[in-house]
Amino acid sequence: MPTHNRRNFLKLAAASPLSASGILTLGGLLRYLSHPAHPTPSTEFNLGPAENHPPGSRTVVAEGSALLIHDENGFRALSLVCTHLGCTGEATGDGLLCPCHGSCFDADGQTHNDPATKPLHGLRVEINAKGRVALYA
Amino acid sequence: MQPERPDSFDLRLLIASGLLLLAIVLVWWQVERVPEPIALTPTLTGQTEYCLTCHADLPEISPSHPVETFGCIICHGGERLALEADLAHSTLRGGANPSDLTVVEQSCCGGDCHSGTSAQGRDHIQRVLTSLQSTYTGAITSVRYTFGAQPDLTPRFGALSITDTESKTGISALTAFDPAAETNPLLQKFGQSCLTCHLNAAPRQGAAYDRFTGCSACHSPTSLRLPQSSANLGRVHRLTTAIPYTQCNTCHNRGNYDLRLMDFIERADQPVKRLDDYYQPLAEFVQCEYTLDCIDCHTRSEAMGDGDLHPDQASFQYVQCKTCHGTLNELPLTKTLTDPNDLAFKLARLNPVIDLKPGDTIIITEQGEPLWNIRQLPDGRFEMVGKATRQYFTFRPVLGTACQQNPAEQESRYCHQCHAVERNHAHP
Repeated sequence: MPTHNRRNFLKLAAASPLSASGILTLGGLLRYLSHPAHPTPSTEFNLGPAENHPPGSRTVVAEGSALLIHDENGFRALSLVCTHLGCTGEATGDGLLCPCHGSCFDADGQTHNDPATKPLHGLRVEINAKGRVALYA
Repeated sequence: MQPERPDSFDLRLLIASGLLLLAIVLVWWQVERVPEPIALTPTLTGQTEYCLTCHADLPEISPSHPVETFGCIICHGGERLALEADLAHSTLRGGANPSDLTVVEQSCCGGDCHSGTSAQGRDHIQRVLTSLQSTYTGAITSVRYTFGAQPDLTPRFGALSITDTESKTGISALTAFDPAAETNPLLQKFGQSCLTCHLNAAPRQGAAYDRFTGCSACHSPTSLRLPQSSANLGRVHRLTTAIPYTQCNTCHNRGNYDLRLMDFIERADQPVKRLDDYYQPLAEFVQCEYTLDCIDCHTRSEAMGDGDLHPDQASFQYVQCKTCHGTLNELPLTKTLTDPNDLAFKLARLNPVIDLKPGDTIIITEQGEPLWNIRQLPDGRFEMVGKATRQYFTFRPVLGTACQQNPAEQESRYCHQCHAVERNHAHP
Protein backbone atom coordinates (compact mmCIF):
# COMPACT_ATOMS: atom_id res chain seq x y z
CA MET A 1 0.00 0.00 0.00
CA PRO A 2 1.52 3.35 -0.94
CA THR A 3 2.56 5.51 2.04
CA HIS A 4 0.33 8.48 1.25
CA ASN A 5 -2.76 6.28 0.98
CA ARG A 6 -2.06 4.76 4.39
CA ARG A 7 -1.54 8.25 5.84
CA ASN A 8 -4.78 9.51 4.31
CA PHE A 9 -6.63 6.54 5.74
CA LEU A 10 -5.25 7.17 9.25
CA LYS A 11 -6.11 10.86 9.05
CA LEU A 12 -9.63 10.03 7.96
CA ALA A 13 -9.95 7.38 10.65
CA ALA A 14 -8.78 9.86 13.29
CA ALA A 15 -11.04 12.63 12.04
CA SER A 16 -14.22 10.52 12.25
CA PRO A 17 -14.18 9.92 16.02
CA LEU A 18 -13.15 13.52 16.56
CA SER A 19 -16.10 14.70 14.53
CA ALA A 20 -18.44 12.31 16.33
CA SER A 21 -17.08 13.49 19.68
CA GLY A 22 -17.65 17.07 18.69
CA ILE A 23 -21.20 16.36 17.57
CA LEU A 24 -22.01 14.45 20.76
CA THR A 25 -20.52 17.18 22.94
CA LEU A 26 -22.42 19.86 21.08
CA GLY A 27 -25.60 17.79 21.29
CA GLY A 28 -25.15 17.37 25.03
CA LEU A 29 -24.54 21.08 25.46
CA LEU A 30 -27.64 22.00 23.47
CA ARG A 31 -29.69 19.47 25.42
CA TYR A 32 -28.43 20.93 28.70
CA LEU A 33 -29.18 24.49 27.64
CA SER A 34 -32.62 23.62 26.31
CA HIS A 35 -33.66 21.66 29.45
CA PRO A 36 -36.81 23.28 30.80
CA ALA A 37 -36.47 24.85 34.21
CA HIS A 38 -39.06 23.99 36.84
CA PRO A 39 -41.96 26.33 36.12
CA THR A 40 -42.58 29.00 38.72
CA PRO A 41 -45.97 28.38 40.29
CA SER A 42 -48.57 30.91 39.33
CA THR A 43 -49.57 33.42 41.97
CA GLU A 44 -52.43 35.03 40.08
CA PHE A 45 -55.68 33.21 39.50
CA ASN A 46 -58.48 34.32 37.25
CA LEU A 47 -61.70 33.11 38.86
CA GLY A 48 -64.07 34.18 36.11
CA PRO A 49 -66.96 36.64 36.19
CA ALA A 50 -67.90 38.03 39.57
CA GLU A 51 -71.51 36.91 39.09
CA ASN A 52 -70.28 33.32 39.24
CA HIS A 53 -69.55 33.94 42.91
CA PRO A 54 -72.81 35.27 44.37
CA PRO A 55 -73.07 36.76 47.85
CA GLY A 56 -72.83 34.01 50.46
CA SER A 57 -70.65 31.82 48.28
CA ARG A 58 -67.39 30.26 49.39
CA THR A 59 -65.21 28.96 46.59
CA VAL A 60 -62.18 26.78 47.14
CA VAL A 61 -59.37 27.65 44.74
CA ALA A 62 -57.46 24.40 44.96
CA GLU A 63 -54.58 25.37 42.69
CA GLY A 64 -53.96 28.45 44.78
CA SER A 65 -54.66 26.79 48.17
CA ALA A 66 -57.13 29.59 48.85
CA LEU A 67 -60.75 30.20 49.76
CA LEU A 68 -62.67 32.96 47.99
CA ILE A 69 -65.45 34.36 50.18
CA HIS A 70 -68.23 36.65 49.03
CA ASP A 71 -70.14 38.02 52.02
CA GLU A 72 -71.93 41.20 52.96
CA ASN A 73 -68.63 43.06 52.95
CA GLY A 74 -67.75 42.01 49.44
CA PHE A 75 -65.05 39.73 48.17
CA ARG A 76 -62.17 38.56 50.31
CA ALA A 77 -59.92 35.51 50.33
CA LEU A 78 -58.12 33.41 52.89
CA SER A 79 -55.12 31.20 52.39
CA LEU A 80 -55.91 27.56 53.09
CA VAL A 81 -52.34 26.98 54.21
CA CYS A 82 -52.44 26.17 57.91
CA THR A 83 -50.30 28.49 59.99
CA HIS A 84 -49.12 25.57 62.14
CA LEU A 85 -46.96 23.58 59.71
CA GLY A 86 -48.18 24.54 56.27
CA CYS A 87 -50.60 21.74 55.44
CA THR A 88 -53.51 22.63 53.20
CA GLY A 89 -56.71 22.97 55.18
CA GLU A 90 -60.18 21.88 54.18
CA ALA A 91 -63.19 24.18 54.17
CA THR A 92 -65.85 22.84 56.54
CA GLY A 93 -69.15 24.63 56.99
CA ASP A 94 -68.18 28.23 57.53
CA GLY A 95 -64.78 27.40 59.00
CA LEU A 96 -61.66 25.53 58.08
CA LEU A 97 -60.08 22.36 59.43
CA CYS A 98 -56.48 21.33 58.95
CA PRO A 99 -56.39 17.57 58.36
CA CYS A 100 -52.81 17.23 59.57
CA HIS A 101 -53.05 18.11 63.24
CA GLY A 102 -56.63 19.24 63.71
CA SER A 103 -56.24 23.00 63.87
CA CYS A 104 -59.59 24.72 63.34
CA PHE A 105 -60.22 28.23 62.06
CA ASP A 106 -63.44 30.19 61.98
CA ALA A 107 -64.95 31.95 58.98
CA ASP A 108 -62.63 34.91 59.48
CA GLY A 109 -59.54 32.72 59.63
CA GLN A 110 -59.11 33.15 63.38
CA THR A 111 -57.87 30.10 65.28
CA HIS A 112 -60.56 28.11 67.00
CA ASN A 113 -58.32 25.44 68.50
CA ASP A 114 -54.64 24.64 68.49
CA PRO A 115 -52.01 23.58 67.55
CA ALA A 116 -52.16 26.56 65.17
CA THR A 117 -51.89 29.80 67.10
CA LYS A 118 -51.89 32.36 64.28
CA PRO A 119 -54.83 33.25 62.03
CA LEU A 120 -54.94 32.29 58.38
CA HIS A 121 -53.33 34.74 56.00
CA GLY A 122 -55.63 37.02 54.03
CA LEU A 123 -55.08 37.20 50.26
CA ARG A 124 -55.63 40.03 47.81
CA VAL A 125 -58.75 39.90 45.62
CA GLU A 126 -59.50 42.33 42.80
CA ILE A 127 -62.38 42.77 40.40
CA ASN A 128 -60.96 44.01 37.12
CA ALA A 129 -62.55 46.35 34.63
CA LYS A 130 -64.24 43.44 32.84
CA GLY A 131 -65.88 42.31 36.07
CA ARG A 132 -63.67 39.28 36.52
CA VAL A 133 -62.35 38.16 39.87
CA ALA A 134 -58.59 37.91 40.24
CA LEU A 135 -57.02 36.31 43.29
CA TYR A 136 -53.37 36.81 44.23
CA ALA A 137 -51.98 33.96 46.34
CA MET B 1 17.05 14.31 16.99
CA GLN B 2 15.20 12.25 14.45
CA PRO B 3 11.97 13.73 13.08
CA GLU B 4 8.80 11.87 14.10
CA ARG B 5 7.35 9.62 11.51
CA PRO B 6 4.03 10.99 10.21
CA ASP B 7 2.39 7.51 10.34
CA SER B 8 3.20 7.17 14.02
CA PHE B 9 1.64 10.59 14.75
CA ASP B 10 -1.53 9.71 12.81
CA LEU B 11 -1.82 6.41 14.66
CA ARG B 12 -1.58 8.12 18.05
CA LEU B 13 -4.12 10.71 16.96
CA LEU B 14 -6.44 7.92 15.88
CA ILE B 15 -6.12 6.18 19.27
CA ALA B 16 -6.61 9.45 21.20
CA SER B 17 -9.69 10.44 19.20
CA GLY B 18 -11.11 6.94 19.61
CA LEU B 19 -10.63 7.10 23.38
CA LEU B 20 -12.21 10.56 23.47
CA LEU B 21 -15.24 9.29 21.58
CA LEU B 22 -15.48 6.29 23.89
CA ALA B 23 -15.34 8.55 26.95
CA ILE B 24 -18.06 10.82 25.60
CA VAL B 25 -20.27 7.87 24.69
CA LEU B 26 -19.82 6.46 28.21
CA VAL B 27 -20.75 9.78 29.79
CA TRP B 28 -23.79 10.06 27.51
CA TRP B 29 -24.84 6.50 28.37
CA GLN B 30 -24.46 7.22 32.08
CA VAL B 31 -26.56 10.38 31.77
CA GLU B 32 -29.25 8.48 29.86
CA ARG B 33 -29.45 5.91 32.67
CA VAL B 34 -30.37 8.57 35.22
CA PRO B 35 -34.14 8.86 35.45
CA GLU B 36 -35.92 12.11 34.76
CA PRO B 37 -36.19 13.66 38.21
CA ILE B 38 -39.56 14.15 39.89
CA ALA B 39 -39.21 17.31 41.91
CA LEU B 40 -41.04 18.10 45.11
CA THR B 41 -40.65 21.28 47.11
CA PRO B 42 -42.26 20.71 50.53
CA THR B 43 -43.84 23.75 52.11
CA LEU B 44 -42.03 23.17 55.41
CA THR B 45 -38.52 23.24 53.98
CA GLY B 46 -38.92 25.08 50.68
CA GLN B 47 -36.04 23.00 49.32
CA THR B 48 -36.55 20.88 46.23
CA GLU B 49 -35.93 17.16 46.64
CA TYR B 50 -35.93 14.35 44.10
CA CYS B 51 -36.82 11.40 46.32
CA LEU B 52 -40.13 10.79 44.55
CA THR B 53 -38.24 9.96 41.37
CA CYS B 54 -37.89 6.43 42.75
CA HIS B 55 -40.32 6.43 45.68
CA ALA B 56 -43.48 7.86 44.14
CA ASP B 57 -45.34 4.61 44.77
CA LEU B 58 -44.97 4.80 48.55
CA PRO B 59 -48.21 5.54 50.37
CA GLU B 60 -48.54 8.64 52.53
CA ILE B 61 -46.98 7.83 55.87
CA SER B 62 -49.84 9.38 57.84
CA PRO B 63 -52.47 12.07 57.44
CA SER B 64 -50.44 14.20 59.85
CA HIS B 65 -47.36 14.07 57.65
CA PRO B 66 -48.48 14.80 54.07
CA VAL B 67 -45.59 14.58 51.66
CA GLU B 68 -46.45 17.93 50.06
CA THR B 69 -45.84 19.58 53.41
CA PHE B 70 -43.03 17.51 54.91
CA GLY B 71 -41.33 15.93 51.91
CA CYS B 72 -38.99 13.05 52.72
CA ILE B 73 -35.68 14.62 53.73
CA ILE B 74 -36.90 16.36 56.86
CA CYS B 75 -37.54 12.98 58.51
CA HIS B 76 -35.29 10.57 56.64
CA GLY B 77 -32.27 12.70 55.86
CA GLY B 78 -30.42 11.71 52.68
CA GLU B 79 -29.09 13.67 49.72
CA ARG B 80 -32.09 15.50 48.40
CA LEU B 81 -30.88 16.12 44.84
CA ALA B 82 -29.08 12.85 44.22
CA LEU B 83 -30.54 10.56 41.59
CA GLU B 84 -28.19 7.66 42.15
CA ALA B 85 -29.44 5.36 44.92
CA ASP B 86 -26.22 4.86 46.85
CA LEU B 87 -25.46 8.56 46.95
CA ALA B 88 -29.05 9.55 47.73
CA HIS B 89 -29.16 7.12 50.66
CA SER B 90 -25.63 7.75 51.92
CA THR B 91 -26.73 10.15 54.64
CA LEU B 92 -30.04 8.60 55.66
CA ARG B 93 -30.80 8.79 59.37
CA GLY B 94 -31.20 5.41 61.01
CA GLY B 95 -30.92 3.59 57.69
CA ALA B 96 -34.47 2.95 56.58
CA ASN B 97 -35.85 3.72 60.03
CA PRO B 98 -35.51 7.36 61.08
CA SER B 99 -37.41 6.64 64.28
CA ASP B 100 -34.56 4.61 65.75
CA LEU B 101 -33.89 6.12 69.15
CA THR B 102 -30.32 6.99 68.24
CA VAL B 103 -31.53 9.50 65.65
CA VAL B 104 -35.09 10.21 66.65
CA GLU B 105 -34.33 13.68 68.01
CA GLN B 106 -33.14 14.83 64.57
CA SER B 107 -35.62 12.82 62.53
CA CYS B 108 -38.76 13.79 64.38
CA CYS B 109 -37.80 17.44 64.30
CA GLY B 110 -36.72 17.79 67.88
CA GLY B 111 -38.10 20.92 69.49
CA ASP B 112 -40.19 21.80 66.46
CA CYS B 113 -42.46 18.78 66.59
CA HIS B 114 -42.08 15.79 68.90
CA SER B 115 -39.72 17.04 71.54
CA GLY B 116 -40.60 19.54 74.22
CA THR B 117 -42.54 19.87 77.42
CA SER B 118 -45.64 18.03 78.49
CA ALA B 119 -47.40 21.39 78.71
CA GLN B 120 -46.74 21.87 75.02
CA GLY B 121 -47.90 18.34 74.32
CA ARG B 122 -44.67 17.72 72.46
CA ASP B 123 -42.73 15.56 74.91
CA HIS B 124 -43.16 12.35 72.92
CA ILE B 125 -39.45 11.64 72.61
CA GLN B 126 -38.70 12.33 76.26
CA ARG B 127 -41.54 10.08 77.33
CA VAL B 128 -40.37 7.23 75.14
CA LEU B 129 -36.73 7.51 76.17
CA THR B 130 -37.60 7.38 79.87
CA SER B 131 -40.27 4.69 79.51
CA LEU B 132 -39.70 1.20 80.76
CA GLN B 133 -40.05 -0.05 77.20
CA SER B 134 -36.80 1.78 76.46
CA THR B 135 -34.93 1.37 79.72
CA TYR B 136 -35.95 -2.19 80.58
CA THR B 137 -34.67 -1.30 83.99
CA GLY B 138 -37.12 -3.48 85.94
CA ALA B 139 -35.74 -6.70 84.50
CA ILE B 140 -32.14 -5.54 84.71
CA THR B 141 -32.52 -4.47 88.34
CA SER B 142 -34.35 -7.61 89.34
CA VAL B 143 -31.84 -9.98 87.77
CA ARG B 144 -28.81 -8.10 89.08
CA TYR B 145 -30.30 -8.10 92.58
CA THR B 146 -31.19 -11.79 92.36
CA PHE B 147 -27.63 -12.70 91.45
CA GLY B 148 -26.07 -10.48 94.08
CA ALA B 149 -24.69 -7.83 91.78
CA GLN B 150 -26.47 -5.08 93.71
CA PRO B 151 -27.60 -4.93 97.33
CA ASP B 152 -31.17 -3.76 96.77
CA LEU B 153 -33.80 -3.20 94.11
CA THR B 154 -32.91 0.44 93.51
CA PRO B 155 -32.76 0.99 89.73
CA ARG B 156 -29.20 1.75 88.66
CA PHE B 157 -28.94 0.49 85.09
CA GLY B 158 -31.04 0.72 81.95
CA ALA B 159 -30.75 -0.55 78.40
CA LEU B 160 -29.67 2.99 77.58
CA SER B 161 -28.09 5.79 79.57
CA ILE B 162 -30.73 8.34 80.50
CA THR B 163 -31.31 11.19 82.93
CA ASP B 164 -34.53 12.66 84.22
CA THR B 165 -33.86 16.10 85.64
CA GLU B 166 -37.46 16.57 86.80
CA SER B 167 -37.95 13.16 88.32
CA LYS B 168 -41.15 12.64 90.27
CA THR B 169 -40.25 9.06 91.13
CA GLY B 170 -36.91 9.67 92.80
CA ILE B 171 -35.03 7.99 89.93
CA SER B 172 -32.99 10.71 88.30
CA ALA B 173 -30.59 8.73 86.12
CA LEU B 174 -29.77 5.29 84.78
CA THR B 175 -26.40 4.10 83.54
CA ALA B 176 -26.23 1.99 80.40
CA PHE B 177 -26.12 -1.67 81.40
CA ASP B 178 -22.91 -3.32 80.18
CA PRO B 179 -23.07 -7.11 80.51
CA ALA B 180 -19.33 -7.37 79.84
CA ALA B 181 -18.66 -5.44 83.03
CA GLU B 182 -20.50 -8.03 85.13
CA THR B 183 -18.42 -10.65 86.89
CA ASN B 184 -21.17 -13.25 87.18
CA PRO B 185 -21.31 -15.31 83.94
CA LEU B 186 -25.07 -15.65 84.29
CA LEU B 187 -25.47 -11.89 84.20
CA GLN B 188 -23.30 -11.80 81.12
CA LYS B 189 -25.56 -14.44 79.61
CA PHE B 190 -28.59 -12.38 80.59
CA GLY B 191 -27.13 -9.47 78.68
CA GLN B 192 -26.55 -11.59 75.62
CA SER B 193 -29.82 -13.51 75.55
CA CYS B 194 -32.48 -11.49 77.26
CA LEU B 195 -32.12 -7.90 76.14
CA THR B 196 -33.90 -8.17 72.81
CA CYS B 197 -37.20 -6.57 73.53
CA HIS B 198 -36.52 -3.05 74.69
CA LEU B 199 -37.45 -0.48 72.09
CA ASN B 200 -34.08 0.03 70.54
CA ALA B 201 -32.91 -3.58 70.49
CA ALA B 202 -32.85 -5.43 67.21
CA PRO B 203 -35.58 -8.06 67.42
CA ARG B 204 -34.97 -11.78 67.40
CA GLN B 205 -35.13 -13.56 64.08
CA GLY B 206 -38.47 -14.81 62.84
CA ALA B 207 -41.89 -13.54 61.82
CA ALA B 208 -43.21 -13.70 65.39
CA TYR B 209 -40.69 -11.03 66.43
CA ASP B 210 -40.99 -8.86 63.33
CA ARG B 211 -40.83 -5.23 64.38
CA PHE B 212 -38.70 -2.17 63.93
CA THR B 213 -36.81 -0.22 66.56
CA GLY B 214 -37.66 3.15 68.10
CA CYS B 215 -41.07 4.72 67.57
CA SER B 216 -41.73 2.38 64.67
CA ALA B 217 -41.54 -0.64 66.96
CA CYS B 218 -45.14 0.19 67.83
CA HIS B 219 -46.32 2.85 65.39
CA SER B 220 -45.30 1.07 62.17
CA PRO B 221 -47.02 -2.32 62.52
CA THR B 222 -45.32 -4.92 60.42
CA SER B 223 -48.71 -6.31 59.44
CA LEU B 224 -48.76 -3.30 57.11
CA ARG B 225 -45.68 -4.31 55.15
CA LEU B 226 -45.91 -3.18 51.54
CA PRO B 227 -45.73 -5.64 48.67
CA GLN B 228 -42.19 -6.07 47.44
CA SER B 229 -41.17 -3.64 44.73
CA SER B 230 -37.87 -2.32 43.56
CA ALA B 231 -38.11 0.88 45.56
CA ASN B 232 -39.80 -0.14 48.80
CA LEU B 233 -38.31 -3.59 49.47
CA GLY B 234 -41.35 -4.66 51.45
CA ARG B 235 -40.97 -1.91 54.00
CA VAL B 236 -43.64 -0.35 56.17
CA HIS B 237 -44.30 3.26 55.27
CA ARG B 238 -46.94 4.03 57.84
CA LEU B 239 -47.17 5.72 61.21
CA THR B 240 -50.37 4.99 63.07
CA THR B 241 -51.88 5.11 66.52
CA ALA B 242 -54.19 2.23 65.58
CA ILE B 243 -51.78 -0.39 66.83
CA PRO B 244 -53.07 -3.97 66.69
CA TYR B 245 -52.36 -6.42 69.48
CA THR B 246 -50.28 -8.46 67.06
CA GLN B 247 -47.68 -5.70 67.11
CA CYS B 248 -47.58 -5.74 70.92
CA ASN B 249 -47.16 -9.50 70.73
CA THR B 250 -43.85 -9.18 68.90
CA CYS B 251 -42.43 -8.40 72.34
CA HIS B 252 -45.09 -9.36 74.85
CA ASN B 253 -46.07 -12.86 73.88
CA ARG B 254 -42.96 -14.36 72.45
CA GLY B 255 -41.91 -16.94 75.01
CA ASN B 256 -40.42 -17.14 78.47
CA TYR B 257 -37.18 -16.64 80.28
CA ASP B 258 -35.43 -19.66 81.68
CA LEU B 259 -33.83 -18.19 84.77
CA ARG B 260 -31.88 -21.36 85.49
CA LEU B 261 -30.05 -21.22 82.19
CA MET B 262 -30.50 -17.46 81.89
CA ASP B 263 -31.80 -17.89 78.40
CA PHE B 264 -34.86 -16.93 76.44
CA ILE B 265 -37.04 -19.82 75.36
CA GLU B 266 -38.98 -18.94 72.25
CA ARG B 267 -42.51 -20.16 71.83
CA ALA B 268 -42.54 -23.10 69.48
CA ASP B 269 -46.25 -22.93 68.72
CA GLN B 270 -47.65 -20.80 65.97
CA PRO B 271 -50.61 -18.71 67.16
CA VAL B 272 -53.75 -19.47 65.21
CA LYS B 273 -56.75 -18.95 67.51
CA ARG B 274 -56.39 -15.94 69.73
CA LEU B 275 -58.28 -17.38 72.68
CA ASP B 276 -56.29 -20.58 72.81
CA ASP B 277 -52.95 -19.80 71.33
CA TYR B 278 -51.94 -16.22 71.60
CA TYR B 279 -51.37 -15.83 75.29
CA GLN B 280 -49.29 -17.62 77.83
CA PRO B 281 -51.11 -20.92 78.31
CA LEU B 282 -51.52 -20.84 82.08
CA ALA B 283 -53.02 -17.39 82.37
CA GLU B 284 -56.70 -16.64 82.78
CA PHE B 285 -58.39 -14.01 80.69
CA VAL B 286 -61.72 -12.30 80.47
CA GLN B 287 -63.37 -11.61 77.16
CA CYS B 288 -62.02 -8.06 77.01
CA GLU B 289 -58.48 -9.32 77.15
CA TYR B 290 -58.70 -11.57 74.14
CA THR B 291 -61.26 -9.63 72.11
CA LEU B 292 -59.97 -6.09 72.38
CA ASP B 293 -56.60 -4.71 71.42
CA CYS B 294 -54.10 -3.81 74.11
CA ILE B 295 -54.44 -0.10 73.30
CA ASP B 296 -58.19 -0.18 73.88
CA CYS B 297 -57.55 -0.36 77.63
CA HIS B 298 -53.94 0.56 78.26
CA THR B 299 -53.30 4.27 78.00
CA ARG B 300 -50.66 6.21 76.15
CA SER B 301 -48.70 6.95 79.32
CA GLU B 302 -48.74 3.28 80.29
CA ALA B 303 -47.48 2.22 76.89
CA MET B 304 -45.29 5.14 75.92
CA GLY B 305 -44.21 6.49 79.26
CA ASP B 306 -45.20 9.55 81.24
CA GLY B 307 -41.84 11.31 81.16
CA ASP B 308 -40.57 9.85 84.42
CA LEU B 309 -38.17 7.01 85.02
CA HIS B 310 -40.01 4.16 86.72
CA PRO B 311 -38.50 1.16 88.51
CA ASP B 312 -40.72 -1.54 87.07
CA GLN B 313 -43.93 -2.31 85.21
CA ALA B 314 -46.05 -2.63 88.33
CA SER B 315 -45.24 0.91 89.36
CA PHE B 316 -46.85 2.61 86.39
CA GLN B 317 -49.41 0.24 84.91
CA TYR B 318 -52.61 1.20 86.59
CA VAL B 319 -55.61 0.56 84.35
CA GLN B 320 -57.83 -2.15 85.82
CA CYS B 321 -61.23 -3.62 85.04
CA LYS B 322 -62.82 -1.04 87.32
CA THR B 323 -61.41 1.81 85.22
CA CYS B 324 -64.14 1.15 82.67
CA HIS B 325 -66.64 -0.89 84.65
CA GLY B 326 -66.56 0.84 88.01
CA THR B 327 -67.29 -1.03 91.22
CA LEU B 328 -70.30 -2.07 93.24
CA ASN B 329 -70.62 1.39 94.71
CA GLU B 330 -68.96 3.65 92.12
CA LEU B 331 -69.45 4.38 88.48
CA PRO B 332 -66.36 4.73 86.33
CA LEU B 333 -64.84 8.19 86.23
CA THR B 334 -66.18 10.28 83.38
CA LYS B 335 -65.67 13.67 81.85
CA THR B 336 -67.94 15.75 79.65
CA LEU B 337 -65.97 17.33 76.83
CA THR B 338 -66.38 21.08 76.52
CA ASP B 339 -62.94 22.42 75.55
CA PRO B 340 -62.22 22.05 71.81
CA ASN B 341 -58.54 21.73 72.77
CA ASP B 342 -59.20 18.74 75.01
CA LEU B 343 -56.65 15.99 74.53
CA ALA B 344 -59.49 13.55 73.81
CA PHE B 345 -60.38 15.43 70.62
CA LYS B 346 -56.77 15.44 69.49
CA LEU B 347 -56.36 11.73 70.03
CA ALA B 348 -59.67 11.02 68.33
CA ARG B 349 -58.52 13.04 65.31
CA LEU B 350 -55.33 11.02 65.03
CA ASN B 351 -57.31 7.80 64.88
CA PRO B 352 -60.82 8.75 63.81
CA VAL B 353 -62.74 5.69 64.88
CA ILE B 354 -65.30 7.71 66.81
CA ASP B 355 -66.86 11.09 66.04
CA LEU B 356 -66.42 12.85 69.36
CA LYS B 357 -68.36 16.06 69.81
CA PRO B 358 -68.42 18.75 72.48
CA GLY B 359 -70.90 17.64 75.10
CA ASP B 360 -69.98 13.96 74.82
CA THR B 361 -69.12 12.20 78.07
CA ILE B 362 -66.18 9.83 77.99
CA ILE B 363 -64.47 7.63 80.57
CA ILE B 364 -61.25 8.90 82.11
CA THR B 365 -58.75 7.01 84.21
CA GLU B 366 -57.90 7.74 87.81
CA GLN B 367 -54.93 9.73 86.50
CA GLY B 368 -57.21 11.76 84.26
CA GLU B 369 -56.17 10.21 80.98
CA PRO B 370 -59.04 10.16 78.48
CA LEU B 371 -60.32 6.81 77.25
CA TRP B 372 -61.57 8.74 74.26
CA ASN B 373 -62.95 5.73 72.43
CA ILE B 374 -65.48 5.00 75.22
CA ARG B 375 -68.50 7.28 75.30
CA GLN B 376 -71.47 7.23 77.65
CA LEU B 377 -74.87 6.52 76.12
CA PRO B 378 -78.07 8.27 77.26
CA ASP B 379 -79.26 5.10 79.02
CA GLY B 380 -76.17 4.97 81.22
CA ARG B 381 -74.41 2.24 79.28
CA PHE B 382 -71.16 2.90 77.47
CA GLU B 383 -70.21 2.40 73.86
CA MET B 384 -66.68 1.55 72.88
CA VAL B 385 -65.08 1.49 69.45
CA GLY B 386 -61.97 -0.62 68.94
CA LYS B 387 -59.03 1.64 68.14
CA ALA B 388 -57.46 -0.87 65.78
CA THR B 389 -60.45 -2.87 64.62
CA ARG B 390 -63.27 -0.27 64.71
CA GLN B 391 -65.42 -2.98 66.28
CA TYR B 392 -68.37 -1.61 68.23
CA PHE B 393 -69.17 -2.78 71.74
CA THR B 394 -71.54 -1.69 74.46
CA PHE B 395 -71.25 -2.47 78.14
CA ARG B 396 -72.89 -1.51 81.40
CA PRO B 397 -71.20 -0.50 84.63
CA VAL B 398 -71.00 -2.91 87.56
CA LEU B 399 -73.08 -0.64 89.77
CA GLY B 400 -76.62 -1.99 89.91
CA THR B 401 -75.73 -5.48 88.73
CA ALA B 402 -75.63 -8.73 90.72
CA CYS B 403 -71.85 -8.54 91.05
CA GLN B 404 -70.79 -8.96 94.67
CA GLN B 405 -67.09 -8.24 94.28
CA ASN B 406 -65.56 -6.43 97.22
CA PRO B 407 -64.83 -2.87 96.00
CA ALA B 408 -61.49 -3.03 97.80
CA GLU B 409 -60.39 -6.05 95.77
CA GLN B 410 -60.25 -4.87 92.20
CA GLU B 411 -57.16 -6.45 90.73
CA SER B 412 -57.96 -8.37 87.59
CA ARG B 413 -57.31 -11.70 89.28
CA TYR B 414 -60.43 -11.17 91.37
CA CYS B 415 -62.54 -10.46 88.30
CA HIS B 416 -61.07 -13.52 86.62
CA GLN B 417 -62.53 -15.73 89.34
CA CYS B 418 -66.00 -15.25 87.86
CA HIS B 419 -65.43 -13.83 84.42
CA ALA B 420 -62.52 -15.81 82.98
CA VAL B 421 -63.46 -17.32 79.67
CA GLU B 422 -63.12 -21.07 79.49
CA ARG B 423 -60.10 -21.88 77.45
CA ASN B 424 -59.63 -25.08 75.54
CA HIS B 425 -56.31 -25.60 77.23
CA ALA B 426 -54.63 -26.68 74.07
CA HIS B 427 -51.38 -26.29 75.92
CA PRO B 428 -50.42 -28.43 78.93
